Amino acid sequence: MEDIGIVSTIGYAKWLDQQFARPLSKPSAWAWIQTQAQGGPVSGGQIDAAVWRRLISGPDQLRQRVVLALSEILVISAGQLDGVSDPTSMAGAFWDTLEQHAFGTFRQLLEAVTLSGAMGAFLNMRGSKKVNPRSGGQPDENYAREVVQLFCIGLVELNPDGSSVLDRNGQEIYTYTQEQVTAFAAALTGWDFNLAAGKKQQDDPAFATRPMINNPSQFSTGDKSVLGTVIPAALDGPAALAMALDVLCNHPNNGPFIGRQLIQRLVCSNPSPAYISRISAVFNNNGKGVRGDMRAVVTAVLLDPEARLPAAGPASGKLREPIVRFAQWARTFGMTSSDGTWQIGNLTGSLGQSPLRAPSVFNFFEPDYVPSNSTLGDNDVTAPEFQICTESTVVVYLNYMQSVIASGLKSSTSVCAPDYSGELAYANDAAGLVARYNLLLAGGGLGADTLSMITSAVNNISVSAATPEAGLKNRIWAAIFLIMAAPDYLIQR
Amino acid sequence: MHIDRTIDLQRREFLRRSLILGAYGMAAPLVSTLGMVEAASAAGGPADYKALVCVFLFGGNDYGNTIVPYDPLSYSAYSTIRQTLATPREQLAATALNPSVALPNARTLALAPQLAPLKPIFDAGHLGIMLNIGNLVQPTTLAEYKARSVPLPPKLFSHANQQKEWQTGGSDKLTRGWGGGMADLMMNANSMPTFSCISVAGNAVFMSGHEAIQYQMSSNGPPEIRNLGTRIYTSSNVSSTLRALITSPRSHWLEQNLNQITKRAIDAQAACAPALAAVPAFATAYDASNGLAGQLKMVARLIAARTSLGATRQVFFVSTGGFDLHSNFVTGHPRVLTTVANALASFYATTVELGVADKVTSFTASDFGRTLSSNGDGADHGWGSHHFVMGGAVKGGRFYGQAPDVSVSGPDDVGQGRLLPTLSVDQLAYTLGGWMGISDTNLASLVVPQIRNFSARNLGFMAA
Repeated sequence: MEDIGIVSTIGYAKWLDQQFARPLSKPSAWAWIQTQAQGGPVSGGQIDAAVWRRLISGPDQLRQRVVLALSEILVISAGQLDGVSDPTSMAGAFWDTLEQHAFGTFRQLLEAVTLSGAMGAFLNMRGSKKVNPRSGGQPDENYAREVVQLFCIGLVELNPDGSSVLDRNGQEIYTYTQEQVTAFAAALTGWDFNLAAGKKQQDDPAFATRPMINNPSQFSTGDKSVLGTVIPAALDGPAALAMALDVLCNHPNNGPFIGRQLIQRLVCSNPSPAYISRISAVFNNNGKGVRGDMRAVVTAVLLDPEARLPAAGPASGKLREPIVRFAQWARTFGMTSSDGTWQIGNLTGSLGQSPLRAPSVFNFFEPDYVPSNSTLGDNDVTAPEFQICTESTVVVYLNYMQSVIASGLKSSTSVCAPDYSGELAYANDAAGLVARYNLLLAGGGLGADTLSMITSAVNNISVSAATPEAGLKNRIWAAIFLIMAAPDYLIQR
Repeated sequence: MHIDRTIDLQRREFLRRSLILGAYGMAAPLVSTLGMVEAASAAGGPADYKALVCVFLFGGNDYGNTIVPYDPLSYSAYSTIRQTLATPREQLAATALNPSVALPNARTLALAPQLAPLKPIFDAGHLGIMLNIGNLVQPTTLAEYKARSVPLPPKLFSHANQQKEWQTGGSDKLTRGWGGGMADLMMNANSMPTFSCISVAGNAVFMSGHEAIQYQMSSNGPPEIRNLGTRIYTSSNVSSTLRALITSPRSHWLEQNLNQITKRAIDAQAACAPALAAVPAFATAYDASNGLAGQLKMVARLIAARTSLGATRQVFFVSTGGFDLHSNFVTGHPRVLTTVANALASFYATTVELGVADKVTSFTASDFGRTLSSNGDGADHGWGSHHFVMGGAVKGGRFYGQAPDVSVSGPDDVGQGRLLPTLSVDQLAYTLGGWMGISDTNLASLVVPQIRNFSARNLGFMAA
C-alpha cells in the first residue's frame, strides 16, 4: 500500500528509477545459504527457501520480479545440476548472478550466465572437451544448441515486430543448422569450475560464486565458428567465447526474441507487433547508443502504452503464474519466517510451479504455447501459463491457498506466516475490505459482479460483539481466498 | 491494440478452417458426424474395449544402449564408436534376443541389461520392437537429406519441437495430436467423453483433438477441492461463492478457458473418484518409488473402472524424464531404463490380471534418438531411435523395420551416428489407429495426414 501511494505521488517512471537504484540486498541467496546450519532444513537441495526468501522479503521488488522473469528465459533447474556436491549453494549463486546483471547489458548478463557454475553443470559446458582423436569423442553440444535456440536468438529469423521472416516461398528461415551447432560446440570446450588449487568442492564453497575458467589443454585446436562466423584458431578459450557471445548478442533476433518474452512474463501473453517493435528498438539502442540495456528494456516494457492503458479485448492480459500469485500474497501481507529459516520448500506439488524448478531448459511453459481445443486455440491466442494449468493443478492451487491463507506454512520447528494484524481494522466493513484487496491483489481489476459476490459472502460471516477477532479473521481469509480464486484476478489484465 | 489482433486472429482461424474443410471436401461439423460413424461400427457391447497408452520418454532416448548390437561384428563397431559409453558385451548375454523372424546378415540385438523385465514379454510374443523409427514427412534417403531435396520435419534436433512433431504427426501446426485425433472419431462411443483422453503426466498435445480434450490427473487420481460442498472458513456462503466464481461462464477468453478447466476438474472428479474407489487392489506389485509405474498403475485402475466410466475406447498418456544424457550417461541411462522396464512389466502383468491384455496396447515414444558417437561423458541430440509396442494384440517377439548400420558416416547416419529414420511415426500411428477400429480413410484424412506420403502404411505389427 505504501508503494502504491508513492507511485501515485511521483509517477511510474520515477518509482522505477527508485527501484533500479536499490542496491543488492544482503545477504545474497548464496551468502544466506552459507549461514544456514549444515543438515538443517535448508541444506540437502532445498534451494527453495533461499529463493522464496528473496522473492518475499527482498526490499528490491522490481529486481526480484525481473529476476524471476529472467530465470524463466535463462533457465536452470536446481534439481538437475550434474556433478555438483552442493547444488543448493550453486543454484543460490545463480540467482545472485541474475540479480547482479538484471539491469546491466544483455551481453554482460549472457556472459555471466554462460560462465556460471550452475549453467555449466546444467547444460554441460563444464567438462566439455576437444575432440579426442583416439576415442573419437566429440565436444558436448548441449550448451552450444540451447544458448542459441533458447537464450538469445531462437530457431527462425525474426522481424523486429516478432513475426517470422519468410523466404520467397513463404517459408520460415532457420537461424542455424545442426552442422553449425557441432562447429560451435568446439568453441565452447575446456571450461571447468574455478576451484582453488588442489581443493575439492566441499573445501572451497565460494567456487560456486566464481565464473568458470578455461583449461587450454581441453580447448579445441583449429578454427571454430559461431553461426557461420569464423573464430580464428589463434584465440584462446576466453577470447573465443567473448567473440562468440559478441556474435550472438548482435543478432537482429535478440530484441524481438528477448523483448517479447519479457513482455509475456511481465505484462501480457499476446503483445501487438507494434509493442514488440518498440521494445526491439529500445533493445537495439537505449537512446545513448547502447545495445541490450536491460534497464532501458524493462522500463520500456513496463511503461509502454499497451502495458499502461487498460487492456481490452477477449485475448488481453495473461494468466498469472502460480509463483507470482503466492509471492504476491506473501509480500502483500508481510510474511515472515518465525526463525528465519524460510521453510517454504519446493511448491511444485502444491502450486503447480516453484522457482528454479522447471522440468527442463524449455521452462515451465513455452512462449508460443497455444491451448488446443479451446476458444484460445480456435483463435490462435498464445497463453504460455496455460501449459501448466490443468484439471489437477487448478485444484491443488485452490486447496493450498485455502490452507496457507489461514494457517501459514508450518513445519515442525517454525512457521512462515502472513501478518494480518493491520487488517483487522478493515474487516468490519465487508465492502471496504474487499475493495482494499481488489486494489492490493488484483490491481483494481475485479469486475463488479465478482466484487459484489465476494462482498456478500464476506458480509455473511458474522462477527461476534464479545469476541470479534475470530469472525474478523475469517472475513479477511475469505476475502483474500475468494479474490485469489476469481478468474478476473487469475487473469491479469 | 488487442482488439485489432483479435479480429485478425479470428479472420485467420476462419480461413484456416475453411482450408482444412476444403482440403478434405467436407462440410462442418465434420468430426461429430464422423465420430458417430466410427462409433457405430466400432463399439460392440460391454466386452468391446480398446485402449492405447503412450509412454513418452522425455529428453530423447539413446538408441544405441537401449537395443544393443550383439553379433560380434556389429558389437565390435558399436564398442569402437561408443568408447566408454559402451555396455560390456558379457553383460548382454542374458538379454540377447532371439526373434521369431531373424534379421538379415546374421545381425543380432540385445536388450539393455536393465530391460531384462521386458524379455519374457518379448519372448512370449507380446512385445514388438520398431527399429530406427522417427519423425519423417515422407520416405527420405540419405542423399535426399543431405541435398535437402525433400521436405523434412521442421526444427530437427530441438527437444520441444520434435516432441510435438512426434505427438502430432506434423498436422495442424502441431496443435492436434494423433491420440486426440483418434479420440475425436471414437469419443461418441464413450458415455462420458471427458474420459476419452486421459493424461496422468501433465499437458501433452498428443491428447488434443478437434473435439477431444485431454483430461489430466495425477498418479493419485483426480484431486477434490476441499470443503467445496460444505464450509470454508466456517461459512457455507464462502463455499458456494467459490463454486460460482470458478465455474461460471466468462466472456473473456482466458477467463473462460480457466473456468472451463476448473469446472471439468470438479465434474470429472465427482464421476471418477467413486469409480476408482470401487476398483479392488491389484495382485500385481508396483514399485512405489517408480514415478512412471505410479502413473501406469493409475491407468490400470482407470481401465479396471472402464465400465463405471462408460468407456469403450480410450487413449492414455504417461511419461518419464531424464533421458537427455549429454553427460553422466553411464550412470543415468541404466537408471532411466530400469524405471521404464519395471513400470512396463508391472503394467503388462496388470492387464493380464484384469483380462484385458489383448485390449490394451502400449508404446514408447521420445523426442529423438541420440548420437552413437560419445562426447566423452554422454551423447547428443539425434533423430531415429528404437521403440517398443506392447500388448496381447501385438504380433511381438520380433523386430519391425531395418537394423541400422553400426557406423559413423555410414548409410543411415546424418552425423555422428544420428540415424535417418527408416520407419515413420505416422506409420506407427496408422497401424495403431487401424487396430483401434478407425477406417483407413479417416486415418489418412483426419488423424495422420502425412501417411499419404507413404506407400507402405500399415506396419503389420497388430493382430486384426
